[in-house]
Amino acid sequence: MRPAGSPAALAGDELGGRGSEQAPARRSLRRARDWADRRFFVLAACPAFVLVAAVAAFPILLSSWLSFTNYTPVSQSLSWAGIGNYKQMISGPNASFAQSAITNTVIFVGGGLAFETVLGVLFAVILARPMRGMMFFRALFFLPLMINVVAATIAWGAVLNTSDGWVNYFTHILGLGMPNWLGSSYTAMPTLILVDSWTGVPLIAVIVMVGILVLPRAPLEAARVDGASAFAMFRYVVLPGVRPVLIFAVMFRLVSMFGQFAEIQLLTNGGPGLATTVLNFFVYEQSFVNGDVAFGAALAVVLVLMMAAPLVVLFRIARREY
Amino acid sequence: MGARAQLTTQARSRIVDAACVAVLLIGSAIILFPLFWMAETAFKPPSEAYVMPPKFIFSPTLVNFRGAFAQQQGAGLAGYGTGYGRDLLHSLILLCASVAVALVLGTPAGYALSRSRSAGSRLIAGGLIVVYIAPALVYVLPLYVVYEKLDLLGSFVALTAFYETFELPFVTFMMRAFFSDISRELDDAARIDGCSRWQTFLKVVLPLVRPGLVTVTILTGVGSWGEYFGALIFSGPSTETAPVNLADFVGAGTSNWGALAAGSLLLVVPVLVVVVVLQRGYLRRFAAG
Repeated sequence: MRPAGSPAALAGDELGGRGSEQAPARRSLRRARDWADRRFFVLAACPAFVLVAAVAAFPILLSSWLSFTNYTPVSQSLSWAGIGNYKQMISGPNASFAQSAITNTVIFVGGGLAFETVLGVLFAVILARPMRGMMFFRALFFLPLMINVVAATIAWGAVLNTSDGWVNYFTHILGLGMPNWLGSSYTAMPTLILVDSWTGVPLIAVIVMVGILVLPRAPLEAARVDGASAFAMFRYVVLPGVRPVLIFAVMFRLVSMFGQFAEIQLLTNGGPGLATTVLNFFVYEQSFVNGDVAFGAALAVVLVLMMAAPLVVLFRIARREY
Repeated sequence: MGARAQLTTQARSRIVDAACVAVLLIGSAIILFPLFWMAETAFKPPSEAYVMPPKFIFSPTLVNFRGAFAQQQGAGLAGYGTGYGRDLLHSLILLCASVAVALVLGTPAGYALSRSRSAGSRLIAGGLIVVYIAPALVYVLPLYVVYEKLDLLGSFVALTAFYETFELPFVTFMMRAFFSDISRELDDAARIDGCSRWQTFLKVVLPLVRPGLVTVTILTGVGSWGEYFGALIFSGPSTETAPVNLADFVGAGTSNWGALAAGSLLLVVPVLVVVVVLQRGYLRRFAAG
């Protein structure tokens, strides 16, 4: 059997060994079993972690490294560029493009997220009400989450078409004219946010609704008995109760909005001009359309940092005590 | 007095109920709007797809589905003209391969994580979340460079490996949560009865998480079926997926709305059928809270 202090003994503590006074024979038997346990855990877990490391961790490191080079797939040349790619975002021919992509990202994610959170919570509160036929609406709000993003985007593109889209048929009837929703630089970004909220609002609504439904009944009843107004009950009982769930939903949306691609490519292709070129789409254009992978990699680093900052803040809010 | 006060609260709650239903109906209409367009245009004669004002009454036809499958070869921006039928098959192959890898590797890993109390395992679980939430671009960009060097662009291997960046962490993390709900005492009992660790895992614990496994399989499959960005970059003539094919014809200039709607419907309907059939019980529980 294995001597004390060996990996097996350490594993014994780690895997829940109770380390009590036992007969030496039993103890060594337990150690043998712990060793088998440890081998099992390593065998069970390692293939997954090795694959994740290979397809995710390694590429992230490679990408960060590429951002300091001048690599392009066409020339296959590779030399150290220092912070050259990052400097391009501040000065040079690409600077204004990169900066407007960063601004657009802030508008798209910030504006969209605020809009989706407010509406999502509103619908969550309504969907959580005990009413006849509510099951139907709950199922319906689940629907957009199952719809293929390309298919949904194609449908939105069609109904938003200026001359023969259904949206403009109704705006025309209402005497609002026939706006070029996706082609005008004033309306393109708001329209994109509205299309994005077609999945975003139901997602937040459904998650927060579940959060409300599992809230303990007692505080709500107590507030009701004490004569709290509907708003007070929402503000001081429901909202604090669903806060962790709400923050989770917001974080989830935040991440997917930073990575939004299909909607932008298929609806506006980043235009008109640069009106809807968010950072994620700009990286795609730079890397795969223009072939400047190194500059794209540097932009991707900026994208990740931009995404990480609000995530860290949200995470800290989620953990803060009231 | 008391009766009157009660009456007013009753009336007020009825007004609130009515307002809620109104808001829900507006929301539902917006949710159904593009889906209704899709279902309607897919069966509409192509000549009536562009008419303004829209014709909501027409004689349904299947010509658009033929159109979707017969989209002209290589007409799109980046397409390979492989035909929609084959591309649906590619999507299905990729779904099966990537979900199988994710389940086979992720389920035992999730079990191991759920049963280990070390700080390392919590760190790994946190790391998996980070890998899962990072935007696809973060992986696509460097993997493109790697695949190019290894001559893997356009292969199922390349696509499957990329899909594991979101499927494997998702399966591992979700299964960890499901396994955590199952008492360790059950493991111990199985061990005392003479099961090895693998037997405990495969024969005792795994059957208990079957509902969770079904849910995770469906969610992972839906994710794979709908993935677009990675497929756009990595797929080639022999692997082009259905969403890439479809998106390709949006950019092809003359948008054939009928064929696009029919193709979209073919992407959407299988997902809904699978979810409804396999998840009826789960969804009911979910809808009931």
